[in-house]
Amino acid sequence: MNQRIVHHPVLGSLDAGKSLHFRFNGTTYPAYEGETIAAALLASGVRTLRVHEEKGTPRGIYCNIGHCYECRVTVDGVPTVRACMTLVQDGMEVTAGVVLPTPLKKGGHSQ
Amino acid sequence: MMDAHQLIVCRCEEVSLAELLETAEAYQCSARELKLRTRAGMGCCGGRTCRMLVDQVIEQATGHSPSHTIPLGYQPPVRPISFQTLGGRNR
Ligand code: FES
Repeated sequence: MNQRIVHHPVLGSLDAGKSLHFRFNGTTYPAYEGETIAAALLASGVRTLRVHEEKGTPRGIYCNIGHCYECRVTVDGVPTVRACMTLVQDGMEVTAGVVLPTPLKKGGHSQ
Repeated sequence: MMDAHQLIVCRCEEVSLAELLETAEAYQCSARELKLRTRAGMGCCGGRTCRMLVDQVIEQATGHSPSHTIPLGYQPPVRPISFQTLGGRNR
């Protein structure tokens, strides 16, 4: 699936850069050089970038300008990286956030 | 209006408008106390998305305008920064 806008009335035609590949949760996705992780995943139809650490509800792009941190993912082992502000690099390993243990909370769980 | 239980004001800590309104009504407190009671504004984004709304909930519930003596804080750094970054890593 490719949902990129390739012709835009104001921005003109997409000048696609070098094509790259990266992995998100074990699946390989295509991207073009200069695209952010969030943009590349959205173009492939992926909207859920992580789940809420405690409640498990889905999260994706919210502001897309690096303000809200809703799009945070783990990139090559580094946590809390904003998918909307980070350009894809070839071979990048991206993983979504998961529900974390809450053993001290009433009704919480320990993994 | 959308159901206040469905309407999430603080997405980082997943605090609904209903939770904020109920807490503000019950305790007639300051915005800071509301933040501490509900955790709205204490998540990863540092309250930059919901701080204004938390202030407005207090204004609606108590009539206090947002210039409290102890305001909702703006502490440096202006955005979350990891110890890895502070230690010299560039992401
Ligand atoms: S979507 Fe808001 S920081 Fe990326």
